[in-house]
Amino acid sequence: MDPGEGDLMNNLWSRFSNWITSTPVWRAVFRHGYEDTPRNRSFIPFSNVLYHLHPVKIRKGALQIRYSWGMGCISFLLFIILTLTGVLLMFYYVPDTRRAYQDIKDIMAVVSYGDIIRNVHRLSAHGMVFAVWAHMTRVFLTGAYKTPREFNWMIGVVLLALTLVLSWTGYLLPWDQLALWAITVGTKMAAATPFIGVDGPFGPELGMRPDNDVKFMLLGGTEVGQNALLRFYVLHCVVLPLVVAMLLAVHFWRVRKDGFSGPR
Amino acid sequence: MGVSKKSITRRDFFSVLGWLGLVATFGGSIFGAFRYFLPNVLYEKPSLFKIGKPSDYTIGISQKWKREQQIWVIKNEKGIYAMISICRHLGCTPNWFEDRKLIVCPCHGSIYDINGNVLGGPAPRTLWRAALSLDPIDGQIVVDFNRRQDLEPKSTEGGLFVDESLREVEPFFLKV
Repeated sequence: MDPGEGDLMNNLWSRFSNWITSTPVWRAVFRHGYEDTPRNRSFIPFSNVLYHLHPVKIRKGALQIRYSWGMGCISFLLFIILTLTGVLLMFYYVPDTRRAYQDIKDIMAVVSYGDIIRNVHRLSAHGMVFAVWAHMTRVFLTGAYKTPREFNWMIGVVLLALTLVLSWTGYLLPWDQLALWAITVGTKMAAATPFIGVDGPFGPELGMRPDNDVKFMLLGGTEVGQNALLRFYVLHCVVLPLVVAMLLAVHFWRVRKDGFSGPR
Repeated sequence: MGVSKKSITRRDFFSVLGWLGLVATFGGSIFGAFRYFLPNVLYEKPSLFKIGKPSDYTIGISQKWKREQQIWVIKNEKGIYAMISICRHLGCTPNWFEDRKLIVCPCHGSIYDINGNVLGGPAPRTLWRAALSLDPIDGQIVVDFNRRQDLEPKSTEGGLFVDESLREVEPFFLKV
């Protein structure tokens, strides 16, 4: 290729890229350019729905891995992965006691990439429980729950509980022996709740019976059966993710308002 | 663009490597998710099924398998064929009316004769016929529901017609 030809190509390319970057669509998406001024650097997180979750300015020390462990971010990433893979799994799984187990077997054995998707979902669930606990531990150890972040700590405690309940409700869905007895044990523990459980302190005195206490309400019956499977499925796939997503919005909003904790 | 005299720096190399990794990761995920939606095992009724021996049928149209397998088994002097009861307009199930000797679709009123020719209504083509074979062991007719005869019809005053001699060929027609 002679130099003249190369110049022509360069010229065409720059004309093309200039035209692309001057279109209204491009300028609506990339609103601020690369201008390196404090004002522009503030505008980028300020006017972007993803970046605006972050405080506009963060101290350098707060971003050190050895301070934050990155566990809040990892928890959120795992939640996104769990949502995506969970939606995919819902296309082949039916919460019917007669076929739920077989549906899982099919996902693992005959659906293309079904085994990968299910295992990513399962391992991400384990990972999220670990990451949320680690996040909580870090916040506790660094004292990041103190003023002005007490409210966000409380949201975080609720999110931790919801993470555990999400994990637990997902546990029943394969409808195998492990699932059945895990939920049998878990709901038996719920029956020992004070006041509202038939086996709990003051339960019987308040009129709790096996067919009207908190365990009965959770299972939709006195044993782990079709009603329980459907209830856990709806809680796992719809109710709890929605509640978690809404609380996450509040959680991130408070992080933005209170700023990052940590050294300077 | 064009040939550059610059050599590839370490930064360029790892930049390209990084982008390739990103494209492979997201491309692979999207491909996997797409492939996931094409099931490998179906719980539908089998598309290959047996309908008994040719001698089980008498001359005329048999409705025996219509509800279960969506076919009419039709026998004439020369042989036997299986016509699929799926309307060629928008896929409803038409019905055979013994008194009028007509097949009429309840959805939009397409009318067919006993050979599947279109006598009226919006149907753009004649009814399908399924491929048949004889099981060499028990002598039963095996219907291949998804292998279908679909010949180009001639448009006439009376409707859309296909010559019966063109239709009565293997494997869509079993001579008896």
